[in-house]
Amino acid sequence: MYISMNWIKDFVNLDGIETEELIRKFNLTTAEIEGYEHKGKDTQGVIFARIEKVDMHPNSDHLHVLAVNTGTEILQIVCGAPNVRENMTVCLAPIGSMVGGHKMTKAKLAGVESFGMCCSEEELGIGSDNTGIMDINFPVALGANIKTVFPIDDIVFEVDNKSLTNRPDLWGHYGIAREFAAMFNRELKILEVDNLKDYENLPSLSVSNNSPDCFRYSALSVDNVTEKYSDQTMKIRLNYCGMRDINLLTDLTNYLMLEIGQPMHAFDHEIVKGINVNMASKETKILTLEGEEHEVPEGATIICDQNNTPVAIAGIKGGKLSGISDQTTSLLLESACFDCKAIRVASTAIGLKTDASQRYEKSLDPEMTTLAIARLVKLLKLRDAAVKVTSCLTDVYTKKYPTIVINITSDFVSKRIGLNISDNDIINILTKLGFIVEKVNNELRVVVPSYRATKDISLREDLVEEIARSYGYDNIEAKPIAMEVKSVEQNYEHIYEYQTKYLLAEKYGMNEVHSYLWNYIDFNKRVGINQKSYVSLVDDSNAGQSGIRSALAPTMLKVMEENRNSYQDIQIFEVGRVITGLDDNNLALERPHLSICLASQTLSNSDLYFKLKEVLLDITENIYGTKIEIGANDCMPTYMHPVNSTNIFANETNIGYFGILHPSVKLEIDKRFNIAILEVDINSLLTAQKLNLQVKKVSKFQDVNIDYTFLVPKTMKYAQLEKHMETFKAKLIWSYKLTDIYESETLGDYVSWTIKYNICSLDKTLSSKDIDIFNMRMLQHMEQIGLKLKG
Amino acid sequence: MEELKQIKKDFENEIAEINDIHNLEALRVAYIGKKGKLTLLMPKIKEMPVEQRKEFGQTINSVKNLIETNLQELKEKLENEKILNEIANEQPIDITLPLNIKKGSLHPRTSLQKEIEDVFVSMGFSVEDGYEVETEYNNFDAVNVPKNHPARDMQDTFWLDNGQLLKTQTSAAQNRILRKYNGPLKAIFPGRCFRNEALDHSHENTFFQIEGMLVDKNVSVSNLIYFMKKMLSEVFKTDINIRLRPGFFPFVEPGFEMDATCTFCGGKGCSTCKNSGWLELCPCGMIHPNVLSLAGINPNEYSGFAFGLGFDRLVMLKTGLDDIRYLNSGNLKVLSQFGVKA
Repeated sequence: MYISMNWIKDFVNLDGIETEELIRKFNLTTAEIEGYEHKGKDTQGVIFARIEKVDMHPNSDHLHVLAVNTGTEILQIVCGAPNVRENMTVCLAPIGSMVGGHKMTKAKLAGVESFGMCCSEEELGIGSDNTGIMDINFPVALGANIKTVFPIDDIVFEVDNKSLTNRPDLWGHYGIAREFAAMFNRELKILEVDNLKDYENLPSLSVSNNSPDCFRYSALSVDNVTEKYSDQTMKIRLNYCGMRDINLLTDLTNYLMLEIGQPMHAFDHEIVKGINVNMASKETKILTLEGEEHEVPEGATIICDQNNTPVAIAGIKGGKLSGISDQTTSLLLESACFDCKAIRVASTAIGLKTDASQRYEKSLDPEMTTLAIARLVKLLKLRDAAVKVTSCLTDVYTKKYPTIVINITSDFVSKRIGLNISDNDIINILTKLGFIVEKVNNELRVVVPSYRATKDISLREDLVEEIARSYGYDNIEAKPIAMEVKSVEQNYEHIYEYQTKYLLAEKYGMNEVHSYLWNYIDFNKRVGINQKSYVSLVDDSNAGQSGIRSALAPTMLKVMEENRNSYQDIQIFEVGRVITGLDDNNLALERPHLSICLASQTLSNSDLYFKLKEVLLDITENIYGTKIEIGANDCMPTYMHPVNSTNIFANETNIGYFGILHPSVKLEIDKRFNIAILEVDINSLLTAQKLNLQVKKVSKFQDVNIDYTFLVPKTMKYAQLEKHMETFKAKLIWSYKLTDIYESETLGDYVSWTIKYNICSLDKTLSSKDIDIFNMRMLQHMEQIGLKLKG
Repeated sequence: MEELKQIKKDFENEIAEINDIHNLEALRVAYIGKKGKLTLLMPKIKEMPVEQRKEFGQTINSVKNLIETNLQELKEKLENEKILNEIANEQPIDITLPLNIKKGSLHPRTSLQKEIEDVFVSMGFSVEDGYEVETEYNNFDAVNVPKNHPARDMQDTFWLDNGQLLKTQTSAAQNRILRKYNGPLKAIFPGRCFRNEALDHSHENTFFQIEGMLVDKNVSVSNLIYFMKKMLSEVFKTDINIRLRPGFFPFVEPGFEMDATCTFCGGKGCSTCKNSGWLELCPCGMIHPNVLSLAGINPNEYSGFAFGLGFDRLVMLKTGLDDIRYLNSGNLKVLSQFGVKA
C-alpha cells in the first residue's frame, strides 16, 4: 500500500522531522516499509503558459504549430494534442526543463522546430487523462512553476501489505497518521466531516439485509451532482497511491477508501432505488464494472436493487449497469461492512481480488461506515456546492462487535517486557493510540477503540505489544536468562541419522539428495512401479502428484534417472519420511526411511549388491550397534529383482530390503546401467537387538591356521554353512572365515569353499595331537550336513 | 711374508679397476671370502716358527683390515654414485594431476542443520522431532490460528484425504513439546514444512525450518533480545547486532520480525541486504498465552519465547545458491558441489 506524506500531513503536523527518521521509526514500531520515492523529483521547470496562436503543421495532418506565451517570451511549440485552442492555458515544459525524468531539448517534429512540449496530466504523472494536454481553467500567473499550484512534490512510501494483515485500522492514511501522531507525540487532527444529523428529517432509503455476512449497511442518496471531475490534488493523490482517476464520484469513493480504509460504492440512484443485501443462489451471474461477467458462488453475499437484480458483488466489485456514468447526477452511496472470511472465500472462488476485498479480508471496523459517508459528503460539497442530499442516513447495523475492556497492571507489563514501566507511561502510550485508560484501584482499565477491537486486540499481552513497540524495542535492554542447569536429553534418532549420512558421504562417496513427499505418479507409471499410498493430497493441482509416498526407493530411482546422462556411476541416498499405514484413528503412521541407490555402467549387479551389503552392515553394526538378518526375500516390492534381493530383519521383524532392481523396471529407466536399491526403516535399528560386544581373552601361545576346502553343493547358501559352523563348539576356535570360493566344470554340481580356522589354546602351545583331535572333530561335524573335504 | 706383500699389492691393483658393486663383491670373496686368498693363509700361522708367528699374525691382520676398509669405502662410494645416478635419471611425478576418487556430498541443509543444532545443544537445548503429516489441531488450533484464517484454506495448505495435513510450519510441534516438558524447557525442532504454492526461484512448496522455544518463569522481551543476539552470534561465529520490528504471527504476542546486521557487509549495505545493512532472519515473539494454555501450561505462571529460522534462506545465503528449487531437485551437478562440509 502506498502512503503519501502530503496526505498524512493533512492530519498530523510532522514539521521538523526528517523523512528518514519518519520512515525508520514507522518501520521499527508499526509496519514494514518496502521503500519510498520522492515524487515530483523528475518534474522540473514546468511552467504555466498560454497558447496565443494555433497553426496547422505544414507537413502533418495531426500536429499543430503553436505560439505559446510564457509570460516573458513567445515560443514555437509543435504539439500533437487534439484539444489545442487559442487562449488555452497549458503546462509547458520548455527547453531545459524535465518531464518524467527526461530533459527537454530543442526538437524538430516533421521538419518544424519545437522549443518545448505542452504536457498532458499523464505525462506529468499527476492524473490519468492522456487524451489531450492539460487545460487550466482557473487563473494562474504565466511563467509560474506548476508546482506552486499543484502539490506535485511528495514523498510516497510503500508499506508491506503482509505486515498489515492484523491491523485493519492501518489500511488508510488516517490510521497511519494516527500512528505517526502517537510515535512523535504530535496531535492527530479530527477528520472533517459533514453533519449527517442535518438530514434526519429526509426520507430513508429502502435497505434490507438478508445476509448474515453483512454486518452493517449504511446508505445515503445525493442529487444534483453537476461537477464531473475531481480537482487536481485529489487526482495527484489517487495516482501517487497507485490508482487512476476516473470521474468525480468514483474518485471520491476511492479517495475515501485510501483515506480511512472504508471501501465504498456509488450506485446511479436513477437505476438503484433501494437495496436488498442477499445471498447468491445457484447460477448468479453479474457483469462487473470492467465489463467482465462473473459467476458468483452460491451463498456469497450480493447487493441487489429494489427488484432483487444483482448490482454488486458485496465487498468485491460493483456491477456495470448500475454504476456511475458521465450522465449520473444522483447517486446512492453504499458504505458497508462484511464478514472477513465470507469476502475472502467469495473473492478466491470468483478469482477477483480488489482493493476493497483486500481490506474487508482484514476485519474492518463497522463503526467506520457512517464516518465514511459523512466525510465523502463533506468532500463532495467542497467540490460541488450545488449537490443536495436527498435521504437521511439509512443504517442497517446487524452485527456490532462488543466493546473490549482489558484490565492490566504496570507490574505485569514490566515483567513481560523486562523493563520498569509506570502506570503513567502506560496511560500516555495507550491514550495516544486511541485507547481510553482509567485507573481503578491498583489496576488500569483499558477500553479498546473500535478500530482495534475487531480481532487485533483482546488480551493484556496485546497491550504489552502496544506499550513495548511504542516505548521502542531499541530501548529495551537485553537481559540474560537465569535458568536451572540441567543435562540435555540426547536425541539418538538424530545423532545416528547424522552419523549415517556422514558415513555414506565420507566413506562411500555417496551424494545426499532431498526429494518431495509425494509419489511421482507419471514416473512410476512409465517405469512400471506400483506404489501404494495410504493418504493422498486433496488438491493435487499444484504439485501435480497426489499420493503420499509409502517408500523412498521409487523417488531415488527418479533422481537417478534424471541424472543418468551426466554420470557413469551414481550413488545417492536420502533419509526421508514415508507414510507406512494408518492407525486405528485413521492417522498416518510416519517413519523415517533411509534409501540408497547405486547405479553403474561399469560394475556388475553382483558388485552393487555386495556393496549395499557392506554399507548396510557398516551402518547397522558400526553406528547402531545392532544385529540384522538377511537372506529371505518373501516380502519384496514388485520393482525389486525376484531372485537377487533380500529383506532385512531385526528382532525377526522385516525392516527393509535391498537388492537388484527388477530387470523390467531397469529397462525402462536405462538399460546401460546396473541398478541396486536399499531401503530401511532406520529408527527400527535403534530398538533392534544390540550386538553383544565382549572382549575375548587373547592367548599368549602360538596360534595355528588350518585351511579346510570342502566340496559344497551349488544349492547351499553360505548362511546355512555358517549356521552349522556356529554349532561346532570347540574351545580352541579363535576365528574362522571363508577365504576362497572355487568353481569349475570338473566339480559338477559342487563348488569348493575354503574355510580358514584359526585355533589356539589359552594354556599351552598346541601339540600335533591337539591339532589332530580338532581336525577330526571338525570333519565329523561337517559330515553331519554331508560336507567332505575336496580331493 | 712375501706372499702377503704380493697379496696386498695384487689387491690394490685389482680394486683400482673396480667400478661396480657386483665386481666388488667378487673381489671380496676372492680375498676374504671363505676360500679367499688371504683367508687361506690364515691357517699357515700354525706352521710358522713360534718367534715369527707374532709378526706374521700382525701383518696378516693389518692386510685384512686394509682390504676390508678399502672394500667398505669403495662400496659406499659406489652405492652413493648409484643413488645419484638414479636421482639423475628419475622421471618427475606430476603431483598436480587430479585424484580419481568418488567424492561424496551431504545435502547443504544437512551440514548447516548439524552446525546450528550443535550450537543449540551447546546452549542446553534439546533437539526434538516433529512429524511431516500433522493433525489440523496441532498445526492450527493448538498454535492459536483462528478458524477462519486464510492459512487453513485449500490453496495454502496441503490437506490430506484422511483429514490430516502436511505441516505448514514447525510450530505444529509446539503443543506436543510443551506438553512433554509441562514447564521450563529449552528445545529446538527442525523440520520440513509444506505450503501449497507455485514454485519460483525463491518459493518452494517443500522447505525447511528450524524453530525453538524457551519457557520459564518470568521470561521477558528483554530476555528474548539477549538470547537472539547471543544465539545468532554463535550461529554466524561473529558478533551480531539485532533489532526487532513488529511482526504478526498468531502463536506469539507480541510478535516480532527480527533483523540481524548483514553478515555480508557488516551493516554497511550491500546487494544481499538490499542496501539496508539488515537481514530479515528470524520471526520470533513471546509465546501466546493461548498456546501455553492449550498445552496445559498456566500462562500466569510461565512465559516464554519462540523463534523460527528461515532455514532454506540461510542455506542459500551461505552457499550462494540463487534458486531455492535446486534444494529439492536431486540435481547432482548442483548438490555434489557441496562436499561434506558446507
